[in-house]
Amino acid sequence: MFRLLVEPFRDAYMQRALVEIVVLSALAGVVSVYVLLRRLAFVGDALTHTIFPGIAVAFVAGQSLFVGALVAGLLSALLLTAATRIRGIDHDAALGVLVGAFFSLGVVIVSTQSSYTADLTALLFGRILTVDTAEIVETTGIAVGVLVVLGLTHKELVLRAFDPVTAEAMGYRTLLLDLVVNGLVALVVVAGVRAVGTVLVIALLVVPGAIARLVSERIGPMIVVAVGAAGLCGYLGLAASYEASLNHGVRLGSGSTVVVALTLAFVLTAALATLVRRWRRRPAASRPAIAASA
Amino acid sequence: MSVRYGRDLALDDVSLSVARGEAVALIGPNGAGKSTLLKAILGLLPLTEGRVEVLGQRPEDARERVGYVQQADTLDAEFPISVLRVVLMGRYRAIGWFRRAGADDRRQAMEALAEVGLADRAKDRFGTLSGGQRQRVLLARAIAQHAQLLLLDEPFNGLDATTTEILIEVLGRLRADGVGVVMSTHDLAVAHLTCGDACVLNRRRVAYGPIGEAITPGTLAEAYGSRAVQLASGATVVTTTG
Repeated sequence: MFRLLVEPFRDAYMQRALVEIVVLSALAGVVSVYVLLRRLAFVGDALTHTIFPGIAVAFVAGQSLFVGALVAGLLSALLLTAATRIRGIDHDAALGVLVGAFFSLGVVIVSTQSSYTADLTALLFGRILTVDTAEIVETTGIAVGVLVVLGLTHKELVLRAFDPVTAEAMGYRTLLLDLVVNGLVALVVVAGVRAVGTVLVIALLVVPGAIARLVSERIGPMIVVAVGAAGLCGYLGLAASYEASLNHGVRLGSGSTVVVALTLAFVLTAALATLVRRWRRRPAASRPAIAASA
Repeated sequence: MSVRYGRDLALDDVSLSVARGEAVALIGPNGAGKSTLLKAILGLLPLTEGRVEVLGQRPEDARERVGYVQQADTLDAEFPISVLRVVLMGRYRAIGWFRRAGADDRRQAMEALAEVGLADRAKDRFGTLSGGQRQRVLLARAIAQHAQLLLLDEPFNGLDATTTEILIEVLGRLRADGVGVVMSTHDLAVAHLTCGDACVLNRRRVAYGPIGEAITPGTLAEAYGSRAVQLASGATVVTTTG
C-alpha cells in the first residue's frame, strides 16, 4: 500500500503534479457546487471550447498560452452571459452558435501553422507531469482569487440560483451575478486545461458537485465533500497512472486517470446513495432489529 | 400605466393606488395582466405609457422596501437549501454585500417563521415541506424583509385550509402595521377576507374600488366571459382552470 500511495511522489515532477492537481481539484470542487446549483454544466462545456482561439492566437504569436486562454475565457464568459439574455433567441442555440464560432476561429488560426499537432494534443488532454513551479503559482493565484470572490458573493449567488425572480424583485442585478459565476467558471477552465486538457476539465467542474449532492442536502457540507472527493480522486488518479505506467507497462494518461477515478467515485456514491434511500424507505418492521432488547 | 410585450398590449391604461395599511385584490382570468402589473410595480418591466410611484420613489429605487411573494411551486423543490436559509434571504438587502447573516438576522428570520407556524421546520430542507408550508415560508421571507409594500402573486392557489387561515391572519396583521398589500388571486372569498379594494382586470381595468362594489356579477362576466357563471341564488362563481 505504501509503495502504491507514497512511492510515486518521491520524484520532484510527481510532487509538482500532485500539488497542481490537488490545488486544481480543491478549486474545481468548490466551483462545481455552484455549477450544479445554477445548472451550468453546458456553459462550462462551452467555455472549454471558446478559450481555444485565445490559445491559438497566443500560440501563433509565440506568447504565453495561459494568458491567451485567460483573455479568451473571460471574453467568452462575457459573451455567453450576454447571449443568454437576448430576447427571442433560445439560450441553448445562442451558446451553440458562440461555441461553433469561437472553436472554428481557433482551428482556422492554428491550422495556418504546420507544427501544431503536438501542442494541440497537450491542449486536448493536458500535460500535468510537466507542470513547473511558475504554473503551480499561477493555478494557486487563480484558486485564491476565485475562492475569495465566491466567499464574498456566496449568499447572493445562492439566492440567484434558487430564486431568480425574487433576486430581481429585491433589486439585485442578476446579469452581474451571472457574469461573476461564468467568469469564475472560465477561470477554472483556464487553470484546468493545462493539467487535464479541455476535454476533461469539464469533468472536474461537474462530477465533484454531483457526488456532493448525493451525499448532502446542504450547500456548506456539499462544498466540503466536493473538495474532498476531487482532491482524493486527483491523488489516487495520479498514483494509479504512475503505477500502471512504470510497473505494468500500461501507459495511462495522468489527467484522464484522474477523471476516471472521479467517475468511479460518482458511480460508487450513486449506488450507495440508492441503497441508503431504499433502506430508509423500508417499513421499520421489516428492518432487522438492531436493539431488540431495548 | 400601459405595458406591451412585443405587439401585445398586456396592460392597457390601468391605474390604481394603494395607501398604507390598505389591500387591493387583482381579480381576472389567466393572461389578464395580473402578474404583469405586479412586475411593473417592481420596476421589472418597461412601461409603454404612464408611470409607477412606489413609496414616493421610482420603483427601481424602492425595491428594498417592497416584498414579493410568488407561488411556491415555481421554485425548485430539489434545491439543497434549508427553510431558515430561505427566510434569511429576506434579510440580504439589509445585511448588504460581502457580509454574512448575523445573530440578529437569524433571530428575525426565526420570529418570521414562528409567525407562520413553521419555527419547528427551520432546519428542514425547503423542498421537503408541503406546498402550503412552502408558501408560508415565502411569506415569512417577506415578513423578515420588513417590507412596507407587499406584492403577492396568486398566493392562495391550491392551498390547504391551515395555510389559507394563516395567510389571512398574517396579512391582516401586516395591514394593521401599515403595510400596503397588492395581491393577485382567483379566490374571490379570500379576496373579500383580506382586501378592502379590488381591481377587476382583463388587460384593461374593468372595475376598481371598494371590493363590494368592484366585484359584481356584471364585472366578473366582463372580465371572465363565459367562465363567470351566475347561480340560481344570484351569486356568481368563476370557473378557473389554472
